[in-house]
Amino acid sequence: MYRDLSPLVAMVYRQVKRWMGARSRLVSTVLNPLVWIIFLGLGWGSVFSGTSFSRLPTGIPVPPGLSISDMIQRYFNTIFGGVDYLTFMVSGMASMTVFMGSFIGGLSVIWDKQFGYLKETLVAPASRKLVIAGRILGDAIITTLQGLIVVLLGLALAGGLRLTGIPIAIVYLFISALAFSSLGVIIALKLTSVEGFQMLINLLTMPLMFMSGVFYPFTTMPDWMKVFAQFNPLSYTVHSVRYWLTGADVGLYPMSPVNDLIVLAVVGSAMLWLAGVVFEKTSIEE
Amino acid sequence: MEVIVVENLVKKYKDVTAVNGVSFTVKRGEVFALLGPNGAGKTTTIHVIATLLRPTSGRVLVGGFDVSREPGKVRRLVGVVFQEPSLDNQLTAYDNMYVHGRLYGLRGRELHERIMEMLDFVELKEFAYKQVKYFSGGMKRRLEIARGLLSNPDVLILDEPTIGLDPQSRARVWDYIRRLRSELGITILMTTHYLDEADELADRIAIMDHGKIVAMGTSLELKNMLGSDVIYLRFAQPVTESVCREFSGVKDCRLLKDAMVELVVENANKLLPEVMKVVVERGLSLQEVSYRKPSLNEVFLHLTGRELRDSLETPQPVARRWHR
Repeated sequence: MYRDLSPLVAMVYRQVKRWMGARSRLVSTVLNPLVWIIFLGLGWGSVFSGTSFSRLPTGIPVPPGLSISDMIQRYFNTIFGGVDYLTFMVSGMASMTVFMGSFIGGLSVIWDKQFGYLKETLVAPASRKLVIAGRILGDAIITTLQGLIVVLLGLALAGGLRLTGIPIAIVYLFISALAFSSLGVIIALKLTSVEGFQMLINLLTMPLMFMSGVFYPFTTMPDWMKVFAQFNPLSYTVHSVRYWLTGADVGLYPMSPVNDLIVLAVVGSAMLWLAGVVFEKTSIEE
Repeated sequence: MEVIVVENLVKKYKDVTAVNGVSFTVKRGEVFALLGPNGAGKTTTIHVIATLLRPTSGRVLVGGFDVSREPGKVRRLVGVVFQEPSLDNQLTAYDNMYVHGRLYGLRGRELHERIMEMLDFVELKEFAYKQVKYFSGGMKRRLEIARGLLSNPDVLILDEPTIGLDPQSRARVWDYIRRLRSELGITILMTTHYLDEADELADRIAIMDHGKIVAMGTSLELKNMLGSDVIYLRFAQPVTESVCREFSGVKDCRLLKDAMVELVVENANKLLPEVMKVVVERGLSLQEVSYRKPSLNEVFLHLTGRELRDSLETPQPVARRWHR
């Protein structure tokens, strides 16, 4: 049967146009990661650097040909996968931006309920699955673009990013954006109040973010946290994007560039499908 | 030729019965109004017809398609303008129309021309590329009417089309509705709690109260239920229905409330002195006397014992609004 993709196109168009119409949102998506990069990245960056140990008191026996600062530097390089902390963090920041942006995108579903726009989409003679898929796709395109902006910012601020890794990292970011946008939409469809959604965002995003390896590596996490990190889809985004941007391969089993792609694709399709199912059943009756 | 058929529609929300056994039909090219106070079940009724709500029981057909079984086909035939605004404020008027058009399967040059034609119809063409958030309430409502018409629907559903509008905007919306009927012959189902609106625009009116239709007909038919004049007597003390027996020469007499009696008469001017004489002779005292030519308000009073105007509080606040 011929399937008209018009509803999908319509909703992608709407989401993108809305985003273009609201410049303040663009500023905030860039500003927020920038704050993290500057204060956390630059601030901690020098803590995790061997050079700050050069003026330590002498007297500790060291193998010949090495200084203490060299040894410390070597240690940090191992846990951060061979890059300095700023590069390590900046490469995770793109994933965080996409994650937050996508998840918060669900908020617009609640606005639509409040402003009555949801009804407009519910009475349309269009496939509900395509309508919601279009909306998620639109959000994913926007947040991936935001992620790209952060990557480019990182490129300017931290030395260690590879230009050649960007295109493939974007693919991972886009698939993750689809997954997290779907999740945001599913939750938003079930809720009615903005406050409720914001509470959930705070409750969910912070732990997921901290247990994803954005700010510190998996290897030094407590064991229980490693378990959570393994089941956190965002970990796979962070790992893969960091791998492609910096070459640092610091992950837990089963993270690898290929496995990451499989995990993200499976989670993404499952979420997208679920969003379709939930939207099919949506009515204005509460 | 019936475009909308509603048979014994019941809609319950948990324990509340919003619509309780409503039946009516709307003919092609007709303007049909559901008139009643807030909470009468008008909006619920049209939400069922627009496929937004599933009926608890009963049958609703639009263009021959059952709203429960073939909602997709019904949606193609219907354009809806909701009571509360349902525009995307962050998009331009054109983009709102464009997204709607794509959702209804229009595209390309045809869609563009149709958008411009409809914006022209509601006199918003010059604001096509302005963001909707800068629009006044009246402009938004007009844009929504244009959007509802975009897909060239057989039936246009208007839920309280002039609620919250200033008199000028209201007159414009009325004018569009009249033109839609006369120039395009489109079938319109509307709800309203304004008597004058139903009176002015509708070919037929169904008066709704507490989830039921209490009377249906043309404006004239409804008014004829009350003859030519109606006298209202408000007594200083409670009276019973038996007081009616005292009056002669009245066509109909009924007790509306505790101390209020309605007399349907041929000529109130002539009969009033007679009525007053009877009241004094029986030792009753009056607080208030009035007589009116029957309007839809008197019809509503006759049917429900309440004035439609009384049951109207200030318009319901339009959902909760949030500012981004």
